[in-house]
Amino acid sequence: MGGYVGRYLEVDLTRGSITDLPITEEVRRKYLGGSGLAAYLFFLRGKYTADPLGPDNDLFVLTGPISGTLVPGSSRFAVAARSPLTGIWGEGSCGGDFAPALKRCGVDGLVFVGQSPTPVMFVLDGGEVALRDATDLWGLDTYETTDRLRETMAGKRRPSVLSIGQAGENLVHFAAIANNKHDFVGRTGMGAVMGSKRLKAIVCRGEGTIPIADPVAYKVICKELVSKISQAVPAQALKEMGTDSAMDLGMMIGDIPIANWSRGEDFELSNALSGPTMSETYLKRGLACYACPIACRREVEVPDGPYKMAVGPGPEYETCASFGTMLAQKDLAGVIKSNEWCNRYGVDSISAGCTIAWAYDCFSKGLLTLEDTGGVPLEFGYVDGAIAMLHKLARREGIGDLLADGSRAAARRLGRGSEELTAEIKGLEIPMHDPRGSHGLALSYMTSYRGACHKAHLVEAIEHGLAGYTDVGLEENYDGLSSEGKAPMVRIGEDLGVPLNALALCEFDMWCYQFDDLVRAIRAVTGWEDFSVEEYRRTGERLWLLKRALNNLMGVTRVDDCLPLKIRTPLPDGAAAGLVPDEALLLGDYYQERGLDETGRPLAEILQRAGLAEVDAVLHR
Amino acid sequence: MSIRFPSEEWVAAFFKAINESPEYLEGGKPWTYGVTALVVNPQPEIGLTEAYGIWLDLHEGVCREAHACTVEEAQTAPFCIFGDYARWKQVIHKELEPVKGMMQGKLKLKGNLQIIVRNVKAAQALVTCATRVPTTFLDEP
Ligand code: SF4
Repeated sequence: MGGYVGRYLEVDLTRGSITDLPITEEVRRKYLGGSGLAAYLFFLRGKYTADPLGPDNDLFVLTGPISGTLVPGSSRFAVAARSPLTGIWGEGSCGGDFAPALKRCGVDGLVFVGQSPTPVMFVLDGGEVALRDATDLWGLDTYETTDRLRETMAGKRRPSVLSIGQAGENLVHFAAIANNKHDFVGRTGMGAVMGSKRLKAIVCRGEGTIPIADPVAYKVICKELVSKISQAVPAQALKEMGTDSAMDLGMMIGDIPIANWSRGEDFELSNALSGPTMSETYLKRGLACYACPIACRREVEVPDGPYKMAVGPGPEYETCASFGTMLAQKDLAGVIKSNEWCNRYGVDSISAGCTIAWAYDCFSKGLLTLEDTGGVPLEFGYVDGAIAMLHKLARREGIGDLLADGSRAAARRLGRGSEELTAEIKGLEIPMHDPRGSHGLALSYMTSYRGACHKAHLVEAIEHGLAGYTDVGLEENYDGLSSEGKAPMVRIGEDLGVPLNALALCEFDMWCYQFDDLVRAIRAVTGWEDFSVEEYRRTGERLWLLKRALNNLMGVTRVDDCLPLKIRTPLPDGAAAGLVPDEALLLGDYYQERGLDETGRPLAEILQRAGLAEVDAVLHR
Repeated sequence: MSIRFPSEEWVAAFFKAINESPEYLEGGKPWTYGVTALVVNPQPEIGLTEAYGIWLDLHEGVCREAHACTVEEAQTAPFCIFGDYARWKQVIHKELEPVKGMMQGKLKLKGNLQIIVRNVKAAQALVTCATRVPTTFLDEP
């Protein structure tokens, strides 16, 4: 079988031992890899009540069957565990070059169990597999860690480094994991899980190859996909202007959150913070993940001024919004600096920006004072306040200790009505797409298995018409401002999107071709000759149901599938002014469509039909 | 009286609507990037045997000139937007926002995408002007 290199390792950090973890071919085909396989392994281990930051919370770092091949967008891998931020299923996916590097070492995935008494790093260097002391790296940021490891492992091929910064070490609940300096496993706090295990870094360098089942068909389909991508307008926009290419358009359709979700339109902000502005000012060049013709990543330089930064990684759209529009501040250099600190400390810039925006909102209403903030005025429009908060939260200093647990926990601790100013679902801060302008997206935020998430499905791209998958039962146009009839679209968008993080493939590349193309690529790589779009969709449904069941086992019920008050409050202006998603209608339709019972659990027959009898036996016992 | 789209009369009425529009005067102010040509792709079954071009010399919130043109002339403009008849009809009915349509590949742009995506307000105001032209469509009885 092609695609997989055939080896999974379990690393016991308590004992310092490394063993092989057998995974059958049947299991691989059923759960693919990445976050899909991680969910199944998590289920088998049954540690639903494990303290997310304790030794029993296993950490999965898994590639998928097409990771590291030349299928465009296949640079990705997934990291998964119980999330310290949400307390439920946590996962994040990341591009860069780690997945091909891991596979070149002859390894498809790693599972870290236990907890090391001292800082360690896991090294795969060609045939060598070892746990090494990392005491001298503890306390360094992710850029410093990457540089140090690349210096000490200098050679013909540069190693790929996964590392945590001070935020992960200090167990910030939304700590991220960096792949080198540009790419991050951002959401749900996987960096904190790594920090709790005192695992500072994972380093890979290898020379092996990935077996391809049908090299001729593989070459043909890869060429076709590159050609389709090069002709697609979204790819062109991403290449020229990055993921922030359409901020003005987003402003027009009511997609951009402003001042902690309180306003709906401000073109001055979007003009100042958009991708075209970045291209004209600080952009040095676009960069690509491994084997991606799009190259949406930004490399920028701020040559002078208070936010001076040498040439290095620049912000994506999400950060331009979370440290820009969300704070009602329009200094793009300030966003770039905030992004640098998020990267260096290793925090999810969405959760960090949203938690800080919540603090700004609290400050504006007198719920936090200068005394609380250590003398920093958290006034909307003032980006230095956010940078100061980043320093504090990464080190858990003063108010930083409150912010470091995320907005839900911070509001619970602060009280005084501050809970009404958060915008999170199941503990995960809502990403930078206002669901009041996209009611299908609102539903997907409510039902996503990792909390408010825009990346575990294709709903956003489908609802905005960026990805036209008309061959799989989707319409060409959806009215974002309507809640009518959205459930079937959301369900299909989930079933199609969930396997991407199992394969593991970049969504942006997938916007440019059809599922039939993807399935041909999977067949050529793996040799699964009868793999079809239908099997792909059924796999998506299976993985969604499995993760939902895991969440049920970790306490999620229907009451958790809800929108926060912030989002149930109509905006005063912009395209979505006066409108809010019809929560009851959306959820009622969806529960029927998906086959969930009144408590929010998948029905037994639905699990059975999806090939999840063993999950049914545990969930409904 | 309704005017057939596309036709010279429609172009003249569109020109008038743009220059009478306070929305375009405001929203189109940042547009200093030259002529935008719109091309309706041919569709013989509704009587549109050749591509139909609309030349719009837009500058700082006013339309300095508008005329019907050939597809060849349209392609000399710095911005040329191509679309099927049904797509332009959706635009005039405000069912398809043109910049979004370009991102979705429903309208094809020849020109600088960066300039287009940052001028969504100008595009929106132009569409508002088009909706003010009483229009009949070739594919309707
Ligand atoms: S589109 Fe961007 S994020 Fe996706 S693989 Fe390419 S460069 Fe990486």
